[in-house]
Formats: sequence, structure tokens, C-alpha cells
Amino acid sequence: MLKLRFHGRGGQGAKVASRTVGTAAFMEGCNVQDFPLYGAERRGAPISAFTRIARGQIMERGVIPDPDVIIVMDHTLLSDPQAAPLSGSNKGGVVFVNTPESPEQLKADYDIDALVITLDLTKIGLDMVGSSILSTLAGAVASRIIGIGEDSLKDAVEKELSGIIADRELLEKNIEAALYCFRSLEPVEMKTLQSEHGKSTVITMPFERARISSPAINAAASSILKQTGNWKVFRPFWDYDVCNKCMICVSRCPEGCISLNEEGFPSVDNEHCKGCLICVEECPKKAIKAVRGPVPDQVEVTGE
Amino acid sequence: MKREMLTGNAAAAWGVRLAEVDYVPAFPITPQTEIIETLSGWISDGVMDTRFVTMDSEHSMITAAGAASATGVRVFTATSSQGLLYGFEMIYTVAGWRVPLVLINVSRGLSSPITLGPDHNDVLATRDTGFLQIHCENCQEVLDSVLMAYRMAEDERVLLPVIVNMDGFYLSFTREPVEIPDVEEVRRFLPAYNPSHAYFKAGHPMAQGVAVLGGEYYSYFKYQMHLASKNALDVYKKTCREFEKEFGRKYDTIEEYRLDDAEYVLIMIDSFSTMGKAAVDRAREQGIKAGLLRPRLLRPFPEEDIRKALNGKRSVAVIDQNISMGKGGILYSELAGCLYNEKNRPFLLSFIGGLGGKNISPEEFTFIFDQLVRGEEAEVETPHLLYTEQEWEGMQKLKDIAGKG
Ligand code: SF4
Ligand code: SF4
Repeated sequence: MLKLRFHGRGGQGAKVASRTVGTAAFMEGCNVQDFPLYGAERRGAPISAFTRIARGQIMERGVIPDPDVIIVMDHTLLSDPQAAPLSGSNKGGVVFVNTPESPEQLKADYDIDALVITLDLTKIGLDMVGSSILSTLAGAVASRIIGIGEDSLKDAVEKELSGIIADRELLEKNIEAALYCFRSLEPVEMKTLQSEHGKSTVITMPFERARISSPAINAAASSILKQTGNWKVFRPFWDYDVCNKCMICVSRCPEGCISLNEEGFPSVDNEHCKGCLICVEECPKKAIKAVRGPVPDQVEVTGE
Repeated sequence: MKREMLTGNAAAAWGVRLAEVDYVPAFPITPQTEIIETLSGWISDGVMDTRFVTMDSEHSMITAAGAASATGVRVFTATSSQGLLYGFEMIYTVAGWRVPLVLINVSRGLSSPITLGPDHNDVLATRDTGFLQIHCENCQEVLDSVLMAYRMAEDERVLLPVIVNMDGFYLSFTREPVEIPDVEEVRRFLPAYNPSHAYFKAGHPMAQGVAVLGGEYYSYFKYQMHLASKNALDVYKKTCREFEKEFGRKYDTIEEYRLDDAEYVLIMIDSFSTMGKAAVDRAREQGIKAGLLRPRLLRPFPEEDIRKALNGKRSVAVIDQNISMGKGGILYSELAGCLYNEKNRPFLLSFIGGLGGKNISPEEFTFIFDQLVRGEEAEVETPHLLYTEQEWEGMQKLKDIAGKG
């Protein structure tokens, strides 16, 4: 059995990616099980999805703790302790990361033991499809790695997208981009490893007083600690020459992360801005642009 | 017949579509919503000739389902968790109307704390209501069980509503290959519903669901529901045989996995049974004579079949994915009651596992088999919660973040 685990951010298409490779394998006569895991839905929050592929019966369910292939659709997830996309990866496995960086760089930065493959899916998505939704692209990459045929992939993309996308042209662009990603990589000789099961560690749970064991949070302001700034693909950028300080963007930001600087211009807290771009949409003066790339410091922004 | 990758929710919707249901009152709740979304899509596209109404709550939804069913049409509805509880008053009420509607419950842990993962405290809350209950392990079973549920519910000897249960996420959002039968085959298996007791016809006035004052009258009606539910055992078995004849898939009141020569047995229901079967395979590789018993029908409770299947076994572990605080596992109690008068009864152990969808790891199954082999020397509480050291450490971290230090 082959086990694949996808890590992405809500809205990026990890679920459809896992389905695309699942459908492709199903079309090749395999037994397949695929499954997304998300909490209360939030765009940008880390989510994961799973695909199991086997010739025989699949006797597992739920999350995959020990995947053969890990597909990381968002580079910034690598350092997110809760998403922990690299957990359970093993020497014989494959880790794919959507990034412009080289595999060597990633191996060194994150101390990865597995075979690392990289490709800048976001750039390909933006260039070829005009969107940062990477579902079919990541599905294509996964299909290629495990050795699925090109025709099966193409049919799978068509099948998975025809239910969600009505626009034929957009669907064609997706197929084209998926095939481009598919052809950019080589299949990997997969050695599926039998997982080792450890000794039992079942405990007897002790009683704790209700002060501890009731579902209440006693600590204040923990949301400040949870930095959501790396959830974004695009970030807002202000042109203070155009802005008239009407403060509409300040009141419309759902995260409350736009405040006023000393001159009364809106200024964004980039550690918590999720890049929803509602501010861009709401500004009556069109003073906010959506830009990609690293965040310049405040001096540079004001200077521009 | 075609074979497709379907989620449990999509398989449920296919079952409803093939049963050619007349009326669907609906209200959304995660992880059930995909069922009614799929149905409403088909209805608006005209591939289903069904009346679909969105209601203001589950209480209204179950009332509408019962009322529509009492006019003699075929009715489907679905809910989950808090939604089921919100409609709970009407669950008892419509069962008393003796209407054969089918409700899918997508299991999800109950508040508080609020969560999304599955366990069975929601569906097991309905065990005394008169609703029959079928529990599914995989997506194929969900589709098949919807068809079987109507056939069983609409039988003259039964006429009680049915809950078909599947686990949230583990089935509802999990895709597997599912065979979708042709509608002609289904029509042969499930003919149109033709009620003789509760219907709406001009010129035949009838008052349904009337009040009775006096315990002797009340007792009569309640015990009749019990007898009808007992009848459902035979009707269900006949339904299984007919189903196998038409579609080739074999079901029974219980599923026995490597049970014949087994000495140590796991008892589980719903989707986690798959993991239990894998654990049985691993235990067998270690030379332990392991097996698994999965009740598929919980109401009526297939006591005879369970007794027969467990006769002569050494020890049995009931893994309850539910908890009755202050007592323990609900199924454990039912099993103990079922086996008490047996001369040759196995030693019973009780575990609570998978609450809120918590994984049951291979290590935890190993723990269970270790205890099963020890039998009466086992060192576990009744019930024993399946919870690992690692999970406890994670909980400590969460408590720190929440300022519980
Ligand atoms: S993109 Fe704009 S509206 Fe959205 S979180 Fe960032 S600052 Fe707020
Ligand atoms: S909404 Fe536009 S014009 Fe108004 S304060 Fe924000 S950036 Fe300036």
C-alpha cells in the first residue's frame, strides 16, 4: 500500500489534490481511499488530506501518521509546529515542497532525511491558470512521483474539476498546468516501508479538579501569540499618496490588524494579516494593491 | 451498475436517489450537509422527482418528516450530533406514529466541549425511541443500508422508522470505490411504498398520533412498538437474503471476522471496525487466536446471533466509542446483559476508545490483546479509557497554553 499525505492551507486545494491522485489511481484499477481533515473551515488555516492506494484491501482509516509521500503545498507550513508536515517522514520516503528553493537548500534548512523534490507550483499556477489554487497541480505532482500514467491523470483532473468548475476554458488551463507539472518531474522508485509498531503506552487517566479539567481558557490574549501572517499568498500594500485616511479599510479588516500610524495612515500588522484582501476590495480610493513577495519594513513602505 | 469513488455522504445520497424518495425535509449540520447538498443539486437539476424543503430547525425537520410519512409517501431526512438532540423530542414522537421514514445520522461527538470528530453518544441516545438502527463500516454499506432500511421499515410486520448510522469524517468525507446499482434493479428489490395504516386520501378521514390517557392504553401502544421491533429481526434477515440475491453483497445482523476458531474477540461497531480487523490480522501473525464481531443491527438487538457467535470464546473486549458517565460503555452493558445467563460465557473486558474521533493506534490494540490473553488476570479498569502517554503529554501542553498550570 502507498500512503500519501498532503499539507496545504484552507482554500489552496489540498482536498482536491488528494482526490485527483486518488481518482487517477482508481482509474488504473487500484483500491483507493482518500480523506481530507479540517476543523471549523477557515481560509488559510493549515489543513491536510490523505490518499491510500493499494492493490488489495485497505485496512486502515483516518489520518496517515507514516506517509510514503508528503506533498507540502505551502512552503511556510514547514515551520508551523501544529501542521508539522514533516512528521513521520522516513528515509525511504519522498517529500515534495512547493517552493522556488532547491531541494538541497530545504534538506539543509529543515534537516530532512527523505528524498526532497521541489517545484514552484504557485508561480506555475499564477502564470498558467491565473490563480493560486493549486489542487490539480499538486495532484499531478503526486501522481507523477508514484508513477501514475499521464492519461489517467488527465482523465482524473477532468473528472474532479468538472464537478466544481463550469468554465471550460479554465478547466483546460488547469489540465494544461497539471500536465506541465507532471512532465517537469520524474517518477520515483517507491519503497513502501512496513511501519514499526512500538510497545503499548496506554495509561490510566487520573482525576483532575474542574479548575483544570473544564473546557475553559484561563490565559488572556493568546491569539497574539498565534501568528497567522504566513497564511497569505498576496499581501496588501498601501499607496499613501492616494489614501485619504477614510479608515474604511481599518474597520473592514476581519482580523483587526490595520491600525493608524503617527501620520494617521493605515498600517498593517503583517504578523497577523491573513491576506484575505478584503481591505483591497473595500478601499473606495483603490489605494491598496495586492502584491506578492517578502514584506518590506515600514520605512520602505512609507518611502515608496 | 457502475463503480465510482464516493464519500459516505455521496453514497448516502445515491441510496436516497435510488430509493426514489418523495420528500426530503432538510437542515444543515457538519458533517452531514453534503448529503442534503447533493440531493438538492439533483432535485434542482431534475434528475430526482422529489420535494425538497429546507426547515428552520431539526425539530421542525423531524416533525415534517414524520408528518409527511404519515400521509403515505416515502421520506428521507438526515442530521448529526447536536442536530439530532435538537430534534430529539420528535424522534420519540414520530416513532410512535409508526411511520417508516429513514434518517441518516452522521455521528459526531456531543457538546461540551464542542467538536467535529465522530463518536456514538449521539446515535445511541436514540436506542430506546423505537427507531431501528443499522450501523455501517464503509461507504458501500451506507448506500446499501439505505435501500435495506426502507425495505425493512415498510414491511407490514415492522412499520417503524430507521436510523442508518455512519461516522463523520471517517466515512462521511472519506471516498472509497462504491458500486451504484441501476434503478431497475433497485425497483425489483424495493417496490413502491403502499401503506395500509397511515395515508392521506380524500374521502378517508383519519386522526393520527392521538393522545391516550390511562397507563393500560399507553402500555399497549409502547409494547406493540417493542414487538414490531422484535419482528424486524426476521424481516431484516429476509431483507439481507433478498438483497444478496439482487445485488450479490451479503449482509447479516452481525459481521464475523476470523471468528470461527478465535479465542479472543474484539467487539466494535461502525468505521473503526476496519482498524480492529487490521489489529486482528496483526495479532494472528503473533500467534494469538484473535477475531472481531461487528454488530450491524443494534435495534432490534441481535441477541441470539451474538450469543451463538461468542459461545465458547475465552475473553471478549467491547470497545465502546461512547461513554455513559458514571457507568461506562453502553455496548458493554448491552453485551453483558445479553450473555449473563449463558453457561459457557466469555470473560468480558470494557474499553472506551475513539471518543471525538480519537485514533485507536496499533499500540492500543496490542494493549487490548495483551489484556485479553490475561483474561481474569487483566489489569484494567471497567471501563478502561484508551489513551496513550503521548496523548497525555499533548494534553498537558494544551493545558499550559490555556493557563491551567
Ligand atoms: S488582507 Fe487586509 S483585510 Fe485581510 S487581514 Fe490583511 S489587512 Fe486585514
Ligand atoms: S480605505 Fe483606502 S482610502 Fe480609506 S483609509 Fe483605507 S487605504 Fe485609505
